Amino acid sequence: MTTGASEPLLAGHNVSKYFGGLAALSNVDFAVYPGEVMGLIGPNGSGKTTLFDCLSRVQNIDRGQITFKGEDITRKKPFQVAHMGLSRTFQVIRVYRKLTVLENMLLSRQWGGLGIIKLFHSYPKKIEDRARDLIHFLLLDAVIEEQAGRLSGGQQRLLELGMALMPDPDLILLDEATSGVNPTLIETIKERIVELNQNYNKTFLLIEHNIQFIGDLCNRVFVLNYGEMLAEGTPDHIMNNEAVIEAYFGMGGDDDELGN
Amino acid sequence: MTRFLSTWRKYHLGRYLLLLLILYLLALPLVQIMAPDRKLVTNSLLFSFTQLFMLITLASNWNLTGGFTGYVDFGHAVFFGLGAYGTGIMMSKAGWSFVPALVGGAVVAIIFALFIGSATLRLKGPYFSIAMLGTFVAMREIVRVMKPLTGGGTGLTLPPYLNRPLFYYVTLAQVILVVIFISWLVKRTEFGKSLIAIREDEVGAEMRGINTTLHKITIFAIAAFSSGLVGGLWAYQNTFIDPDIVFLQSRTVDMVMMTMLGGLGIVAGPVVGGAVLYWLRDVIWANFLHFHLIVQGIVLIMIVLFLPEGILGTLADRTGGTTIGRLWGRYLTPPKETKVEEAEVSS
Amino acid sequence: MDQFTQAVVNGIMLGAFYAVMVLGFSIIWGVMGVINLAHGEFIMAGAFTTWYLNDQFGWDPLLTLGIVLIIFFGVGYILQRLLINRIIDRPFLISLLVTFGLAIIMSNGFKLAFSATPRSVDTVLSGFWRAGDITIPKTKTGILVIALVMMSMLHLFLQNTRLGKSIRAAAQNREAARIVGIVIPIVYALTFAICIAMTAGAGTLISPIQPIHPFMGASLTLKAFAITAMSGLGSIPGALVGGLVLGLIETFVATYVPGVGTNLGVISSYVILVVVLVVRPQGLFGGLKPAGVQ
Repeated sequence: MTTGASEPLLAGHNVSKYFGGLAALSNVDFAVYPGEVMGLIGPNGSGKTTLFDCLSRVQNIDRGQITFKGEDITRKKPFQVAHMGLSRTFQVIRVYRKLTVLENMLLSRQWGGLGIIKLFHSYPKKIEDRARDLIHFLLLDAVIEEQAGRLSGGQQRLLELGMALMPDPDLILLDEATSGVNPTLIETIKERIVELNQNYNKTFLLIEHNIQFIGDLCNRVFVLNYGEMLAEGTPDHIMNNEAVIEAYFGMGGDDDELGN
Repeated sequence: MTRFLSTWRKYHLGRYLLLLLILYLLALPLVQIMAPDRKLVTNSLLFSFTQLFMLITLASNWNLTGGFTGYVDFGHAVFFGLGAYGTGIMMSKAGWSFVPALVGGAVVAIIFALFIGSATLRLKGPYFSIAMLGTFVAMREIVRVMKPLTGGGTGLTLPPYLNRPLFYYVTLAQVILVVIFISWLVKRTEFGKSLIAIREDEVGAEMRGINTTLHKITIFAIAAFSSGLVGGLWAYQNTFIDPDIVFLQSRTVDMVMMTMLGGLGIVAGPVVGGAVLYWLRDVIWANFLHFHLIVQGIVLIMIVLFLPEGILGTLADRTGGTTIGRLWGRYLTPPKETKVEEAEVSS
Repeated sequence: MDQFTQAVVNGIMLGAFYAVMVLGFSIIWGVMGVINLAHGEFIMAGAFTTWYLNDQFGWDPLLTLGIVLIIFFGVGYILQRLLINRIIDRPFLISLLVTFGLAIIMSNGFKLAFSATPRSVDTVLSGFWRAGDITIPKTKTGILVIALVMMSMLHLFLQNTRLGKSIRAAAQNREAARIVGIVIPIVYALTFAICIAMTAGAGTLISPIQPIHPFMGASLTLKAFAITAMSGLGSIPGALVGGLVLGLIETFVATYVPGVGTNLGVISSYVILVVVLVVRPQGLFGGLKPAGVQ
């Protein structure tokens, strides 16, 4: 699934973040290449979502550097990074609960340019068309006029994915896209990701606890434990890695997900 | 009730209601102009309406930050006050004529808004509210202290423009129409929808490409400018200003109550809420003269506890999809079901 | 130099009062997530009650403390069950507006009952001690002592009694507290009652040293907010430090900035508030979380 390009799309060098005396992230080095579907796993509390927060610039890092498309984004604001082509979803679902599915989608596509100019524009037809297309792509047509807060967990995850796709990003960070989702919808999500990756050349970085999901989708995986990079490689390699198994078992295992 | 609603929906009666309201407001001065001797439209009636328009305008401005963007500003009246004092000082101390002084006052308000907003708009929820409340209280004292400029506690007198209730009425009528129009314009554009996104989930909004800081400061400044203008107008009309009547605690309460009563985040919310509250206040004054403030406090609590979506908001929730629902809903599209969501609030 | 020392002494006395004043506000916020905008009005109510008892029965103000505490414990309990309970788990705007409405009702209610004329009371402890050129007012010393006693007692209560520990548990994690069997509604009602009692007690303490009138509350609420921003929620040591800091700043401003009355106290507390919130949104000692669940 890799295109073999040598320039990473997203890379972190020596990324470290501290909360008081606690190191949430410690010297994390990684790279995601265009066209990849990369996985990020690790026991609870290992810093995965924190890393996502830092990559999407919701939080600042204390040391190190993050580059996206070759540009240093370490100090950029979240909306700037979003305009550059990076989208994310959230571990705890963040959709606009009181607005409809369609409105959620419309609100996720922002033109660049001055806020003042936007005072005089309303959404052009093509944005609405795109929203409807994506809703159709994600099989959410039936609930298009429903309030987002009323959807099931799985549908909300699909909606979040749709919202992340609206600005036509190059890289999508998916945080636990299968958490709380029933198996059928998990399949749907998997299929959509595959299609987006292969036919539209979207790059993905997935945080997951569902090892099977990772195994099916990802061409590379890296593992965080206690904020440090523990291992990196293909799914097979990772799942047979002793240190990784130790980390999961040492933490008391992760529900039933570790079985193969 | 359902029959009424379906008829309403079928014939899109909401828009006619709106038209009727606008015509009524415009008709009054026409009557006065055409037949000045007729006592149908008295000066005190004009004055009443002028007051009402002013209150609605302020509430509508407040709604821009409080209702649309979710930044509940407990000190918004500070911009009204700055406009009043700006205009007052420019007219009485610098000898400017009315219009430049009016604009000058509003400029003072907007400059201060940019200054204070850059600090307070970073704060979340209640911290922002209280910080702005503090700004309001502090500004009152600052104005009182700066005696050489502002006349301190003894106040400031402006050059009078007497016997012109019609002038004020027409001016305020125009102001209110403009303000409501702006409010409507904001809401239907991408800018306004971004504000609603900020209200619903600021972190998510920023993550989806909305420059939240720019949006917040812009709407904050617009609201401040507008309220500053109203402040200047009021100062001119009142002829006399001092820190206590300008920075009156009840001004903030009025704005908030009117908007909440009508419906937060709804364009017509301040209008409906303002009219109802104004009338209600007359009733309370007539019957509870000594208790009237206490009764207002009780009314505020009642509104907040039992009608948090406001009149229009509750109405919109139940008639989603009609003109009322679309135009007057708090969300871009109001919910379709008639059940009231209690569970949504605290999750 | 003496002016400096005098200012320090005055500042400490003022600060001690502020510390005990802010406790009720801070704990209600910390435990229940409710920001009580009527806080100043409860102080005013306590002060008026003291004045009334002094006026009607001739009791010394500082001695009315016990009765005031008891009365307002009851008031607080009833208020919580009737009203405050409804706003606990709702968006913060609701609780701000409800307490704001309460403040309006209370201040105007007292105005109606007692008129807006400022009242004053005198206490037995009048006069000064002198140490060199420093004057130490006896009244304020008495207030300082009582304030410290009240704070210590509250601290001991929270640390050592079962109810106190339940309150602290509920403050830290409501759900967990509920699971282990702490009856949340009763804990809330008692917490609120204790805090209101303390707040009214602060009103008693303030009665000998400033004019009592129905609208004295607003600036006190603002100061409570400023101190809480500095010191974090529900922390007694924090309140002490924060109160002292505010007291000292106000006193120094009043001493060294020429030609201004006590109104600058309001301005300085406001400035402190905004500076703290902007520079360090989690409060100086940490622990400030947004009220409400959104």
